[in-house]
Amino acid sequence: MAKPLALADNSFENEVIASKQPVLVDFWASWCPPCKMVEPTIGELAQEISDKVKITKINVDQNPKSASDYNIMGVPTFILFKDGKEVTRRVGAQSKAQLLDMLET
Amino acid sequence: MSGKLHNAECTCWNCPAINLAGKVDFRACGQSTAEFDKRKDTSSESHIMAECKRRPELGLFDPTSITFRECPEWVESPYGYLLKNMRVMILGMDGYLGWTLALWLSKLGCRVSGVDNYSRRNWVKERGSHTVVPVATMTDRLHVAKEVLDTTIDFRELDIMDRELLKEFIEEIKPEAIVHYGECPSAPYSMIDFEHASYVQKNNVIGTLGLLFTMHEAVPETSLIKLGTMGEYGTPLTGRPLFEGMFPADAVLSWQGRQWSMGGELTPRDPVSFYHCSKVQDTFNVYEACKYWWLRSYDVMQGVIYGVHTDQVSADPRLRTRFDIDECFGTVINRYVAQAVIGFPLTLYGAGEQVRGFIALEEAMRCMTRLIAKPPEPGQYGVVNQMSGYCSMRRLAETVKKVGEKEFGLKVKIQRVENPRVEADRHPFEPIFKNLPEEFGFVQKNMLEEEIYRMFKLLTQRRIKGRIEEKKHLILPKTWWSGVKKEVERLELIENGNDIKKVKAEDGETVSVGR
Repeated sequence: MAKPLALADNSFENEVIASKQPVLVDFWASWCPPCKMVEPTIGELAQEISDKVKITKINVDQNPKSASDYNIMGVPTFILFKDGKEVTRRVGAQSKAQLLDMLET
Repeated sequence: MSGKLHNAECTCWNCPAINLAGKVDFRACGQSTAEFDKRKDTSSESHIMAECKRRPELGLFDPTSITFRECPEWVESPYGYLLKNMRVMILGMDGYLGWTLALWLSKLGCRVSGVDNYSRRNWVKERGSHTVVPVATMTDRLHVAKEVLDTTIDFRELDIMDRELLKEFIEEIKPEAIVHYGECPSAPYSMIDFEHASYVQKNNVIGTLGLLFTMHEAVPETSLIKLGTMGEYGTPLTGRPLFEGMFPADAVLSWQGRQWSMGGELTPRDPVSFYHCSKVQDTFNVYEACKYWWLRSYDVMQGVIYGVHTDQVSADPRLRTRFDIDECFGTVINRYVAQAVIGFPLTLYGAGEQVRGFIALEEAMRCMTRLIAKPPEPGQYGVVNQMSGYCSMRRLAETVKKVGEKEFGLKVKIQRVENPRVEADRHPFEPIFKNLPEEFGFVQKNMLEEEIYRMFKLLTQRRIKGRIEEKKHLILPKTWWSGVKKEVERLELIENGNDIKKVKAEDGETVSVGR
């Protein structure tokens, strides 16, 4: 069963930037209730659409470099990468419909 | 089997036996990290590291690299992996839940400590009542626990309002989990008058606030399991579900054609007494402390608790936990059984159609253990609605009646009396209680009839029945939310559960009951 891929600073380049597939990255923190509430949605997306989009998440406290590189000002932040480039960014909790909508852009 | 345990994949990130080291900064969702980083020297790019308090020889390491399943300090138990000799401190250890949990956890191998200032004994005495199941003094309880169960519990008599003493004890024990039962749990008690309302709020709110500061100062990695109540939510007449503390991400606020996810925001609270208000204030204080200081907490919104049994409290009469039946401290199902035992009609307030969640004592203990076994992550404020089912007060009374009549040959009547509370007595009710089963592996088992049977078995003992008789004048409510001081009057006597026979007093007068 596909689960969201947990990223780290040292795997970000390989898994996101070098990825041929589009990648959704969920920047999250354990002290952030909205991040926790989006977790199940991210899990569902991983199961449902991981053939189209790689679903990933990265803890900003454990991986400060990536959070800083992408200037994460608040969590959760969702960034869609295509060909290693940021395409869309949304900040704050998102419903499943909102995330799916974001992935279609 | 190991793969199935609910906390197998948790890592040191969840573990209370670590110190966090390296880059730790406290901020809120939306607080700029860029600005924060500017103030720091550039060498602070290091990551958050863990240092194991139990195995300091490991040095600093990545907190996500070792799972509970792999860690030799976490060992299998029926309730998930448990930290070996886990130090658990129970605040309010002399109470109905506190004592039961102390024995339960110590039998599981936890090193249990606890505090209490015997407030519960005193409140009940103040109301002129007593626990109908006799309880031993704490000294005797501890001796018997050693003698019968071979467990050692470290108890300290202290008031959690005395922050210095509490801090001293916490620093001495260094608990890895703190279970906070040290609050006044009675809605009617808080509605007696200003003195009682302010006492309850001060004890509950300030006591908990002091605890939060103490944990921040002394044991920030310790998990806090804090007792809340389903009553915090109230019963909204729109029928919207009672989510577990916070909205899920798919709950969307729509306004003027725009939409926002409400995910992670606290749901509205509609407390139904000044006691419930204190619990709501606690919720906010705990929520904020987790955010500001990375404390870790589960807020347990417990349904109506009932029952008398765990293997430990049933092991010896001197180990029994208290059982109250007075209007302030007797919870509803417990009170119904006591009433049935002495032939006192079970009392429904108003329509008797209020719906509440409920959970048996033993089930609550299982839930608490599972929560302790899966500590929250740093800064995580989690909420569980702790209940195993729900139904109307009338149905509960009918169930008690059924068991009492069928199994014990009692003649049980039900009556409706005026409702002294200000509450909806007909309302929709859709509680969500999925976290415990889905995240903590709790298997809900409807123990209602089985536990009611056990309660009858205990309460029909001659001595206990006598103790109920002695205090039966304290069963009916006298505390009105309106402030009126008078006894409630009977509205209806229900002879047979489904075949309701109304007793109409002459000229429509209601009939006084209870004397």
